[in-house]
Amino acid sequence: MMNKPGNLLRLLLILPLLSLLLSGCWDDRELNELGITSGSAYDWENNQWKATYQVINPSSGASGMGGSGGGSTSSPPFLTFTVKGRTIMEAIERTNLTSTREMFFSHSRITVIGESLARHGINQLIDMFLRKQDARETVFVFISQGDAGMILDQLMQMTKNQGAGIQLMIEQESRLLSYYPGIRLYELAMALSSESKSAVLPEILLTGSQTMDETSETAVTDLPSRLALGRLGVIKGDTFAGWLSQKQAFGLSFLTDNVDSATIAFPSRPGASGKLDASFVLQNSATTVRPVWVKDHYVMEVNIKGSGVLTELGSVMDLNDRKAISEMEESLEQRVLELMNNAWTEVKRLKADVTGFAVRIHRSDPKRWKQIEQEKSWDNVFQEIELRPQVSIEMERTGLSNKSFKSVQQK
Amino acid sequence: MPQEPKSRKTTQDPVETSVPAPLLLKLSLEDNLHELSHRIGSSSDIVTRHYKSEAEPPLSLAFIYIDGLVNADTVNQAVLQSLMENSTLNGDQITTEAAFKLIKEHILPIGGVKEARTLEVLLPLLFDGYTLILFEGLEVALAADTSGWEKRSINEPTSQGVIRGPKEGFTESLRTGTAMLRRRLKTADLRIEEYNIGQRTGTGIALVYLKGLASEQVLTEIRRRLNAINTDAILESNYIEEFIQDGGLTPFPTIQNTERPDAMAGGILEGQVGIIIDGTPFALLAPSTFFNFFQSSEDYYQRYDISSFLRLIRYGAFFVSMLLPALYIAVTTFHQEMLPTTLLISLAAQREGVPLPAFAEALLMELTFDVLREAGVRMPRTIGPAISIVGALVLGQAAVQAGLVSAAMVIVVSFTAISNFVIPSLAIANSIRLIRFVMMFIAASLGLFGIMSFLMVLLIHMAGLRSFGVPYLSPVAPMIPRYLKDIFIRVPLWSMNMRPKTNLGKETRRQVPNQKPQPVENEANPSPSQPRPQGEGPA
Repeated sequence: MMNKPGNLLRLLLILPLLSLLLSGCWDDRELNELGITSGSAYDWENNQWKATYQVINPSSGASGMGGSGGGSTSSPPFLTFTVKGRTIMEAIERTNLTSTREMFFSHSRITVIGESLARHGINQLIDMFLRKQDARETVFVFISQGDAGMILDQLMQMTKNQGAGIQLMIEQESRLLSYYPGIRLYELAMALSSESKSAVLPEILLTGSQTMDETSETAVTDLPSRLALGRLGVIKGDTFAGWLSQKQAFGLSFLTDNVDSATIAFPSRPGASGKLDASFVLQNSATTVRPVWVKDHYVMEVNIKGSGVLTELGSVMDLNDRKAISEMEESLEQRVLELMNNAWTEVKRLKADVTGFAVRIHRSDPKRWKQIEQEKSWDNVFQEIELRPQVSIEMERTGLSNKSFKSVQQK
Repeated sequence: MPQEPKSRKTTQDPVETSVPAPLLLKLSLEDNLHELSHRIGSSSDIVTRHYKSEAEPPLSLAFIYIDGLVNADTVNQAVLQSLMENSTLNGDQITTEAAFKLIKEHILPIGGVKEARTLEVLLPLLFDGYTLILFEGLEVALAADTSGWEKRSINEPTSQGVIRGPKEGFTESLRTGTAMLRRRLKTADLRIEEYNIGQRTGTGIALVYLKGLASEQVLTEIRRRLNAINTDAILESNYIEEFIQDGGLTPFPTIQNTERPDAMAGGILEGQVGIIIDGTPFALLAPSTFFNFFQSSEDYYQRYDISSFLRLIRYGAFFVSMLLPALYIAVTTFHQEMLPTTLLISLAAQREGVPLPAFAEALLMELTFDVLREAGVRMPRTIGPAISIVGALVLGQAAVQAGLVSAAMVIVVSFTAISNFVIPSLAIANSIRLIRFVMMFIAASLGLFGIMSFLMVLLIHMAGLRSFGVPYLSPVAPMIPRYLKDIFIRVPLWSMNMRPKTNLGKETRRQVPNQKPQPVENEANPSPSQPRPQGEGPA
């Protein structure tokens, strides 16, 4: 039978197919052998990497499971491991000395960089994330003043998976408030490798003094300590350069076109009292930046166009009057300008081009950029950049009433 | 029987039944009766009745029939009575030859009367319910069709029920089956060819087709394959199916079976050839492509939109039934990163404490279901509810609570099982029951990569299959766009102008084009009673 050419051909086709089976099974892992990591934190301590991993405890995370799986609800939704090593991987491998489960990083949502590490340099960390197969470059990166590992210990209310909770927090924040952009690891890597060589990282901090890391402690309505987003950390090169306050961060968002929707408090009558007594929800905003070479320095023509709705008004005002509205618009524009200038001054002081101006200049004027690069004079050029902002904000609607309640009352 | 082992290998090796040489009838009635009783023994159901006229020399006849196969009324009234009371036969001097002619042409009030000279012809007729009339002094005998045995009445098909549509199914009787088709296809083109296959069973098999619609090549091929069957017994249509279907070693059926005369008529109208087998209500339709197995006759009895939707669901159910356990195994053991985090945590929580690996867990549950299903078919009706309660508890609650399997696996297995029943044809549903296990094994060893590879292998295999010359995956591979009107969706009937909807038979026009219902415009069309004024020809 075997001497027929058809059979031989078939055998030749089947043999490689059978060899496929030999390659199977080597990397299969059952779900209950995995330590699903939802977040990681990295610190630099005594010239060693200190890594903290947050591993989900499934029997607590999923509620109402039948069978033997359902553990007691009082067991914490996640556990943390802190390990040290001379390299990151050495630290990771050491988790196997203490944990029953193999670390599984594909579902990580956040990574927190301690200030100590940020001052030491984060190149190696980024490299590990980009190189390792199951590490995800889509994790959100945060910076923490002090010990980053502490952040991962804090339990959250309403969400059991803390990593996912923090991700949700930053996503919502950047969508609704636009104070800080949510920075994913690949975005951080891209920003640091761009012409600007600088990036910003939102700070995550504990509002209270102590970490809430016991499940019984979360059974109160108002936690004494919560996770919160604070300032904006600036990274230059691969090391920490300084902080931007929340207000400056907001201004920077305008400069870098990261404003999605935002609430701006502004004085409705800037001339009279200057008191912040009105709120405006910016629903659309677009920033265009155009570098212009003027004699010996660059002028950045920043043009911001926005529109939105008035949501709060504390002064006597008749909104049927077009003049009143344009007055408010002007006040808003002033407010945005102020925020932006404030941010720009601080960025300049930190000498970190987190505005991405270098990229703009490279794109609009490649020749001059080459020259700047050759002379390595970007820091000087950056310091001499003059900001020429132009803000135009349109108040499209004034909400459901035409007069402020105060003016109704006074009649 | 000392036989050369070599001769067994020859294709002409007869089945092991004694096939004596043809035996001509003798002149002597006594001799013939003796030979007959020697052949068939003295079985209690064979009735022999002698008759002698009063004339001299007497006309001597013998009637032989099998009790239970004949209609007693017909035998008594049409044969015995009419002969015995005939004055010419009874009284007058008449030669045997003249009597034979008289009986054959005048006396017997029966449609089917045959004459025969050998026992080899007579015996099958006897077993078909004919009454044999043997004559003293003649080497030829008569056989009168008096058949009428107990039959099951026409019932609703049990395996292929519909909500809307005819509720009658084939019965075990071949003649009833052909009659049902005749009733549906009142055309002169309907052809019914009969065969008797099986040396011990002599099962009647009818080839039913419409001349001009069925492809001649297919017909020739089916006839050739039917004639080549040399076996002793055909008890059900599967015997024929296995003998004549293409690709003997494929898990996929290449011949449809149906219990519904309307489905069969529909198939025949598309150029398929029907094969009705005596003794089973399941008839065959060939050639059949993969997509035929997803068409239900109800598709044409419901509105086209819902039919199309249901058909798409069936294809989805096919893939679910084949792949879901395998995908579950692959994703939970190899590709955990593909799951959303919350689902992963929930699945991981369920797996806490489950002792078996996912593959063993799935295998256990699938086998449990197959055992239950088989038990459901075999068990007596009266204890059915008990088994289903135990089954539901074993499969569901208890297994999970005992920590043997995870709750998600129960969902996967039940959904797989239910999906399997969505497919209208049991033939193809059964074939993927087996493929599912292979898939699970491959998923457990190779993950998604293995599933994709095996799907490729399956696809290549299916693309190479043929059913009586028709590619199994046509009209998708090879792609024939104009035949796609009734494959994944069903277009409205007025837009299916060409037959067939696949290349099963010859392509001919089915109906006049442009029959889409239009509102009547009063001016253009003053007489609304006139039916379809511009119906003819393209507008």
